Amino acid sequence: MHAFEQIYRSFERPAYTLALRMLGDAESAREIVHDAMLHVFERIAQFRGEAPFWGWLRRIVANEALMRLRRQRALAFEALPEEPDADVDAPPPWRLADLHRLQAALDRLPPLTRSVLWLFHVEQCTHQEIAELTGKSVSFSKSQVMRGIQRLRALLEEPQEETTPWPVTATPN
Amino acid sequence: MAGHRDPELNPGAALRALPDVAPQPDLWPDIARSLARRRRSRVPRIAWPLAIAATLLIALLLPRFTVDPGAPASVASTPPQSGERERPEAGGEVDELRLRSQALERWIAAVSAHAPQDGRDLMAAVEVEDLIGLVDLQLGAARNAAEATPLWQRRVVLLEDLAAIRLGGYAVAVNEVDAHAPRAIPALDVN
Repeated sequence: MHAFEQIYRSFERPAYTLALRMLGDAESAREIVHDAMLHVFERIAQFRGEAPFWGWLRRIVANEALMRLRRQRALAFEALPEEPDADVDAPPPWRLADLHRLQAALDRLPPLTRSVLWLFHVEQCTHQEIAELTGKSVSFSKSQVMRGIQRLRALLEEPQEETTPWPVTATPN
Repeated sequence: MAGHRDPELNPGAALRALPDVAPQPDLWPDIARSLARRRRSRVPRIAWPLAIAATLLIALLLPRFTVDPGAPASVASTPPQSGERERPEAGGEVDELRLRSQALERWIAAVSAHAPQDGRDLMAAVEVEDLIGLVDLQLGAARNAAEATPLWQRRVVLLEDLAAIRLGGYAVAVNEVDAHAPRAIPALDVN
């Protein structure tokens, strides 16, 4: 059991962070990580050493999170408002925003858009992988990334008072 | 790779700079309880070897932790090819163990196709397959023949255990029908 705990400790942060960013809810993210870890420990024989362990675990966490969103009907397409074209000469607002502000803006995106954006930009998933995970098309993934970026930009350009702090305690590395 | 990722236009770098978060309060006690509850209903004699194997896994796997994407493959019937990566160093013993391992796998696959398994044997077989999976995980991280040899030895022993479990079901099957399956565990057919 101690060995399993060590494995858990090594991956709890990336796994929980992924679940939290996708779901936007701390309690749901805990449940996802709990279930994903049990799944991994009970099916360790299905893992082959040449593939990165995190790649396997990440896919399980992402799948569980998307299933949760599906159950919550949060995966339904949510149209994003049209954003005006960005000023190409101005630095993108995420370069200037502090972490709390960026987290708050991210949290205000629709769950599916946020999940796709996170999987693409942070987890470095391809559009094909995202399409498989979400059960949508490649072009849908691409459009969600584009629209998500536009929306994130707009949220970060709003006056600062309108954003609320990220509700979850973030522990730095 | 995954399309347009210009850091000036896309927020990837900024998002990646967000801190990782740990679950609060600690989630491990809940996981440990759930794991213990589920494992109590399985074959208890396998728990210790599994824990030992997991300990070895940590030593080998964690230093190689990367964030590259990857996906799981099928069950541990085929070990990772660490031996092939280290072919120049891998001596005759690893080759011999690999051949022995392959012969056992073929035999087990042939027997499994013909033999019924009762619930108890099936549970034991699943447990041994779990252990083989852990060994395969460690083999995937083995850097040279010195590391790989004891793992291959352990893999062969586990496959022999699995063969013995399968043999029980096969013996029953042979009494019922004249199955065209291997007659004995391949002890000497490696060369």
